[in-house]
Parts: sequence; C-alpha cells; structure tokens
Amino acid sequence: MPRPYILCALLWFAATSVAQEIGVPRNVTAGEDVHLSVSGSGTATLYLFGPGLSNKRDVILGRDIQLPATDFTTAGEYSALLCSAGDCRGADFFVSAAKPFSLTFLVHPSRVPVAEGDAISGVAVPFDKYRNLVLEPETIKFELTDGKASVLNRSLPTKNGIAWFRTASGKSAGALQVDAAIGDISTRRAVQQVASDPCNLRITGQRNAGGILVQTEPVHDCSGNPLPDGTIVTFTATSSGDKSTVDAPIKQDVARAQIIARGPTTVSAASGVVTGNELRIGDR
Amino acid sequence: MRELKHRRWGSVLLQSACALLVCLPAFTLPSHAADSVEVQLQTREAAPRSVEGPTERAILRDYRFAWISLTRAFQSNRLDLLEGPFSGEARRWLTDTVREQQGSGLSRRYGPQTHKLEAVFYAPEGDLMELHDTAQYHVEFLDAGKVIGNRDVVRHFVVLMTPGADRWVIRQLQAVSQF
Repeated sequence: MPRPYILCALLWFAATSVAQEIGVPRNVTAGEDVHLSVSGSGTATLYLFGPGLSNKRDVILGRDIQLPATDFTTAGEYSALLCSAGDCRGADFFVSAAKPFSLTFLVHPSRVPVAEGDAISGVAVPFDKYRNLVLEPETIKFELTDGKASVLNRSLPTKNGIAWFRTASGKSAGALQVDAAIGDISTRRAVQQVASDPCNLRITGQRNAGGILVQTEPVHDCSGNPLPDGTIVTFTATSSGDKSTVDAPIKQDVARAQIIARGPTTVSAASGVVTGNELRIGDR
Repeated sequence: MRELKHRRWGSVLLQSACALLVCLPAFTLPSHAADSVEVQLQTREAAPRSVEGPTERAILRDYRFAWISLTRAFQSNRLDLLEGPFSGEARRWLTDTVREQQGSGLSRRYGPQTHKLEAVFYAPEGDLMELHDTAQYHVEFLDAGKVIGNRDVVRHFVVLMTPGADRWVIRQLQAVSQF
C-alpha cells in the first residue's frame, strides 16, 4: 500500500475510535437523579459500584445517561466504570445525606432521683429519610419539662452529626418529658423522677402493752416530695446492751413499728443513707 | 554415579520447594489480603466521656474484624459474614451490596488496608461512639472474576458504633469526601 494511503487510514482510525470518557456530578444529594456524561462512539458497558449498589448496563456512547434516584439513596462513595473494547475508564463521586427527616434520641437514665446534679443526659442524632447520618450542622432544641416547671430549654448545634446535653434532674417527682426537636421534627422521651433520700427523718414513740410503738413523721425528700410507699425505714432499739432491729415499709408517708423492749430504751431510725433523731423512752 | 544422581534429585527437590514457597503467597493472596487490615485508634479527642482502656481494645478488635468480614463478604459475595459485626443501616446497605453483586456477577477485592481511626464522640452513658476513619487501601472491581478497574485510594468514613451483647457493632458506615 502506498504511504499516503497508510497515513490516511491511520488518521481515519484515530478520528473514529475516540476513547470513551465519563463525567460524573461533583455533588449529589441522596434521593436525586444522577446524570453521567459519556463521550465516544459506539456502545459500552457501564458499571456502578456504591453502597447498596452493584450493577452493569449497556449504554450508547456520546449520549448522557440519566440514572434513577432510587439507585442513590445511600450516602457514600460511588464508582462509575465505562468499559468498551477491553478499555475501562472510571470516575468516583459522593452522595451526601438529604435534609433531616428523623431524630434518634437516646436519654438516660429512665428513672432518676429528683434534684440530682448532671443526672440526665441526652444524645440526638438526625437522619435523612433514607437513614443517612446528616453531617451538615443543624440546631437541635432540647426541652425538659417536669409538669410544673421547665427544667431545661436549650438549642444546641450538631457537631459531626450529633448534639448532646447533660443536666440536673427536676424537683418534682413524676414523669419528666424530654423533647428534642429539629425544625418540625420532634422526638419525646420520658424519665421517671422519684423522690430523693429522706430529709429530716424524725420519729416519735410511746410505750404500749406490747412494748414500744414508734413511727416516723411524714417522710419527704428535701424538695418536699413524699417518699414512695414501700421505702424501708429501719428502726433500731437499744436496751440494756441488747439491740433489736425492725424494718418497716413506708405506708401513706409514714413508717410504723412495734418494738419489744423492756427498761429504758433508745430508738433510732435510718432510711438509705439518712439517719433520723434518737428517741429515749424510759421504763414504764 | 549413584551419589551424583542423589545430588541431582536433591537439587531438584530443593528448587521445587523454593519455587513452591515463592509461589504459595500468590495462591493465598485473597484470604491474606482480607486479613491484612491494620487499625490504629486515637481516643484523645473523644468527648464528653473519655474512652476506657478495655473499650479502646474492644473497638480496635471489633472494627478490624468488621473490615475483614466486609472484605471477605464483598469478595466472595457471602451474606453470613456481615451478620456479626454490622447492625442497622450499615448492615442494610452492605447486605444490599452483596445481594446486587450476587445478581450481577460482580465483586470487589480489597488489598491490604490501613485504617486510622479517631474517636470524636463518646456518649455520656457509653452507649454510642462516633469515629472518623481515614482508610488507605487498594480496591479492584471484578466482573465474573475479571478485573475491570482498580483504585489506590485514601477514603474517609464516618462511623457510628454501639455496644452489643459481646462486641461493639457498626451501625453506620458512611463514606464522605472529607471530615
């Protein structure tokens, strides 16, 4: 073949066999369509690898490709590979989370004594409608209400997709409502606040036919909450070197016990870590 | 003469043994690569709770095991490997990936990996930890066992882990372009 023909043939081959190239979007939000631009001519196989995605399809080169939003609901990294005649070209792109749709809210503990410092903590994590962690900073409003009063009302920004608080418990026994909200999305948890340790445990007593009848005054914590029925008060009687102990449950704010003791007797009471007054009762 | 023959056979045997030793790693590369996962953990920045020593060791152990399982699952398209170390959303998308790979005859093969983990959040009650992983690895994409593409990459992952009955499990594993 004469040389000019060879040169022409080579030029024609170079012009018609342009290698396929693939262009991917720079930023994609979860749940959006994805457009890929492909150059070249002829047909090729498009491979897609990503979180929850691994597929291939035949495509015509030179035509843009629209991929369905349903393929890109999981945030993360996606790789597109375009293969034609044994030659593969690839490009990667990221899909980021959509706007917040739900809020995961962890609150501890489920039961807490009243007026205790740093006793309640909460962690809120926003997710989009596809359960992707929303990493863009968002403001989360935390509100704690114990029925009578607001215990906490604070707006905090998320950092790395998480916002959290720690606070003291309220002063009233009962259910504490703990709310976290981001825009119009809110999640509620409840913490049961219970009376704390007794405050000023005081006892009175008198002799009767069976020995000594002792009882507490109405038992409250330092915030004025009555201690729940069943809380144990331990009465200890010391008489002539002998010691006897009676555990009595609180019933309707008061604990009572009948102690068998002869002679001058000293009676004391304790509940949890709190001790009450000492009572000296003489012989009959 | 007989001694010469013995020497010759000895030499052949020695050469064969050497060749076998040289070739052996090539045959065992896939499983070796799956196990070649190095994890380093930095907990200095963890707040509001500081990470306890036993927790740090557990995270290192369980995160490494999770990536070994992920690597094997993506290479062999086995779902059972994902059952222990992953939970929630992470397990959902990993399972979907393997199912899609099973259906399309595709797979991914990871080379040796290095993961630099940094704990950035540890919940006050110790029930949630967020980590940032800067991972470096080689990954190959395969169609019917034939490599169609590969990458040497440095990738960033945001990870949420929670304590399970006997280990820390990955609930969220989300690749991001940057932290």
